[in-house]
Amino acid sequence: MAGRIGRILLMGGAMVCAPLALRAQTTPAPPAATKVTQITGLSGVKNKTKGLLLVNGSNLNFTHEQLKVDVPVNSVEDVVTGNDSQRAIGGALGTLSMFAPYGGGRFLSLFRSKLDTLTIKYRDADGGLHGAIFTMPVGKAELLKKDLLAMGAHTSVPGEAHAAPTAKEQKQ
Amino acid sequence: MSLARLRSLAFVGLVLAIAVPVLQAQSTTGPVKKMKAAAVKVVMIESNEIKLPAEFQVSLYEDLIAQLEKKSGLKAYREGDRNAESAADLVVLHTTVTGFKEGSERLRQVTTVAGATSINVHCTFTDASGKTLLEQDIKGKVRFFGANLRATYDFAKRTAQLAHDNFSPTAGA
Repeated sequence: MAGRIGRILLMGGAMVCAPLALRAQTTPAPPAATKVTQITGLSGVKNKTKGLLLVNGSNLNFTHEQLKVDVPVNSVEDVVTGNDSQRAIGGALGTLSMFAPYGGGRFLSLFRSKLDTLTIKYRDADGGLHGAIFTMPVGKAELLKKDLLAMGAHTSVPGEAHAAPTAKEQKQ
Repeated sequence: MSLARLRSLAFVGLVLAIAVPVLQAQSTTGPVKKMKAAAVKVVMIESNEIKLPAEFQVSLYEDLIAQLEKKSGLKAYREGDRNAESAADLVVLHTTVTGFKEGSERLRQVTTVAGATSINVHCTFTDASGKTLLEQDIKGKVRFFGANLRATYDFAKRTAQLAHDNFSPTAGA
């Protein structure tokens, strides 16, 4: 009798859990945001603000705490990626290290981390041209650029105007 | 003639040699006559001959608009802004990059004297019909501290100062 009850309970549990598991498989995962630093240009955002950048549907979203800025992707006229580097020890500590004795600050300046840059040009509602620059970890800028191009943004870089669909789209 | 007197005469001569040209320069230049303008439209920076990275182009443009808003006393409009069409006393700022040297922040921090970034831009202020009102070459540079993009901030500050010195909403009133 106990074995039979156990089997019934197992079947019931499987029936409850199976639809949930199937639903989880069919709903697409929300697109992952990229940690970026907005260097300059985004309306209403201070220079050098850290936040999350995400191509969400027809908008490019930048969020920083409660602040949220949307740029319609179809208003993006140019997307260009590049690379840069920054001091491994930055900020106030990096500035203070310049006063370290025996050239310690200079020695620390040799250590730098690589960055990707993403530069966009877009139009506001009045037709005014804006430009924005973001820095992000290496390898992220190209993915964002592909997403932007796939959603209808343009680029001045020849041969990339019609980007191949990203891995995310291919899965869908 | 005593040595002390010779010394004092030499000192007076030196002071006069420095002071006279300075005073002459001050008396000849005088205040610049300003042109009437209430707004400036900034056209995106052109760099046909010089290969300028996109981030420098955008940074130049954005810094220029920010500094013009802040320092020139003029209302700054962006390229393509429809509101600029109805603006009174509008001047248009065209900028062309004529020289660019991308330095290295690492080199600046390590050596202090090497690795400077500099950018030369030819600025032309025209009226709405395209007639040239003012032309000048302006240089932006970052020599010791800061990232390479700081050169664009330096350039923007100088250009805003040029606009402030030559244009005013109340000029000729």
